[in-house]
Amino acid sequence: MNPFGKLKQSNYQIAIISVILAILLAAWKPHVLIEGIQRACLYAVIALPMALILGIVGIINLAHGDFMMLGAYFAYFFNVYTGVDPLVAIAPALLAFFLIGIASYRAIIKYVLGAPELNQLLLTFGLAMVMEQLANLIWTSRPIKLSLRYVSASAAIGSFTFGTFEFVYVGAAIIVLVGLLLFLKHTSMGQAALAVGQNPRGAKLVGIHVDRTYLLVFSLSIALVGAIGAIFMTRHSIFPLVGAAFTMKSFCLIAMAGIGNLTGILWCSLILGLAENFVLSFRGYAGWADILFFALIVCVIIIRSRQRQVK
Amino acid sequence: MRNSRYLLYILILIILVTLPLHTGVYLLNVMDVILIYLALALSWDMLLRSGQISFGMAGLFGVGGYAAALLHLNTGVNPLFSIILGGLAAGVLAWLVGMAVLQLRGMYFAIVTLALAEIFRVIVRNLPDLTGGPEGTILPSAIFAGNSTKTYWLVLTVAVVSVIASEIFRRTRIHFALTSIRNDEVVAKSSGIDVFKYLVFIFVITSAIQGIIGGAYAHIYGFVSPEGSFSIDFTLLPIAMALLGGMHSTWGPVVGAVLLGVASEFLKLYIPYGHLLVYGLIIVIAILFFPQGIVGTLGQRLKKPR
Repeated sequence: MNPFGKLKQSNYQIAIISVILAILLAAWKPHVLIEGIQRACLYAVIALPMALILGIVGIINLAHGDFMMLGAYFAYFFNVYTGVDPLVAIAPALLAFFLIGIASYRAIIKYVLGAPELNQLLLTFGLAMVMEQLANLIWTSRPIKLSLRYVSASAAIGSFTFGTFEFVYVGAAIIVLVGLLLFLKHTSMGQAALAVGQNPRGAKLVGIHVDRTYLLVFSLSIALVGAIGAIFMTRHSIFPLVGAAFTMKSFCLIAMAGIGNLTGILWCSLILGLAENFVLSFRGYAGWADILFFALIVCVIIIRSRQRQVK
Repeated sequence: MRNSRYLLYILILIILVTLPLHTGVYLLNVMDVILIYLALALSWDMLLRSGQISFGMAGLFGVGGYAAALLHLNTGVNPLFSIILGGLAAGVLAWLVGMAVLQLRGMYFAIVTLALAEIFRVIVRNLPDLTGGPEGTILPSAIFAGNSTKTYWLVLTVAVVSVIASEIFRRTRIHFALTSIRNDEVVAKSSGIDVFKYLVFIFVITSAIQGIIGGAYAHIYGFVSPEGSFSIDFTLLPIAMALLGGMHSTWGPVVGAVLLGVASEFLKLYIPYGHLLVYGLIIVIAILFFPQGIVGTLGQRLKKPR
């Protein structure tokens, strides 16, 4: 069922690899290091809620990135109509997307929980398409962007300057990761969710309300990813297809870290973010950076499936 | 009963072949598009019968298209022959890839095929000397100098070949092998079916068909580009069609392709930028309410005594 379970010991290996990579880079290309870390944390913070859904509800949400896209548009229009800063709009975005999460779970996701994996994949695939096309129809494919002054803040060490605003991704990644870990380990609701993720039937037998747990976890994840959309749109221009790339990248990170390994996602995203920025830093070869994630996802999945066969 | 059914098929075929005599260019162009998607939907469904869902159709479609166009352009082979070579290229690529990828099952196979399609696209975009890079390559002229009747016959041939291939797979022992793999792989293995061999075989065949369709498409429009030839539409629309019509059958994807193809022509008139929205809705609604599709649901209704 779950070929990637119980691989947490590999966390240390991945952590060591990423630290070595980081030190090498710091000496050679400090730009790559700083921007790579910032980019990596953006990937990680988007992948974390998806990992939560996959680990506990057991559904690959191929519309994950599109919820982020909707969150970004939400923050944009919140700003246009009320003049509130997108970073403040995180709070209403959390609430709004929690409700959207409840609605989509109740209306759609709930009915494919017991269905074959194929149907779940196709359903969320279709959902992603509906969201993208709806956004395209309403807001057109023209990229939009807020011009905020603070996003271009920078700092300098000697002659080396770098953007400081993007560290908000690092902060967000750490807050979300620590928050989720605390929630799962130290609240009764989180423990119930873990139990449901491990064995829904067993959880039901000991009196956990499985359906309500699924609802909570799904809505919480959608709320988080919607709020991340608000952070995302401060720095990046947004358009209807902006989220689709992140869905694939998130899945890649989850597959690499192993399902149920939240901390591993942060380390894996560090490796990927650094590697991607490293390739991007070579002029003329930047186009190849896109391939890294996809090549890696193919390799990781195939290698993991081999390991499973050997065991 | 049986004879009358064959008679019906022959009648439909005659009508389709002689269609250019009765109608104008516009309808033929619409038919081209419908038949192309019909063949794609069928090839997707043929692989699905083994339980493997592929999201990488656009990748093999694009590879076939690029192979056909570039071979024609650089070596000057006959366009028709280059289309077959395009199919061959996609088939060989699928064989190489399939050796590794077909170890995977379920969502992992699906995601890897989606990733592979993206990899093909990025590679094609980043080899400007060979492929023309992001702008793509324009062929000197469309196939048959743009003659819409001959183009239509070409597409019709491809579609009919796909239908025949699909029917062959449904009527021979391959069908039982694939169905048993889909239902329970362990049982299939223990009854002596070489699961991996069958999966590679069906993956190569369907990929070759997708490559041929891609080659035909490239020659008909005289143009290949990374975003156009590898467009996610070539994955999504056939899936929506097969789902709507009914999976695991020949006539399901055919019915779905005709219905959606005609519907999208009308929708393009009313919501020019949103007709894909309808496709997405159809996927969601079909999965939620009738996962058997139109043909499957009707077939069940007819069989069940009321």
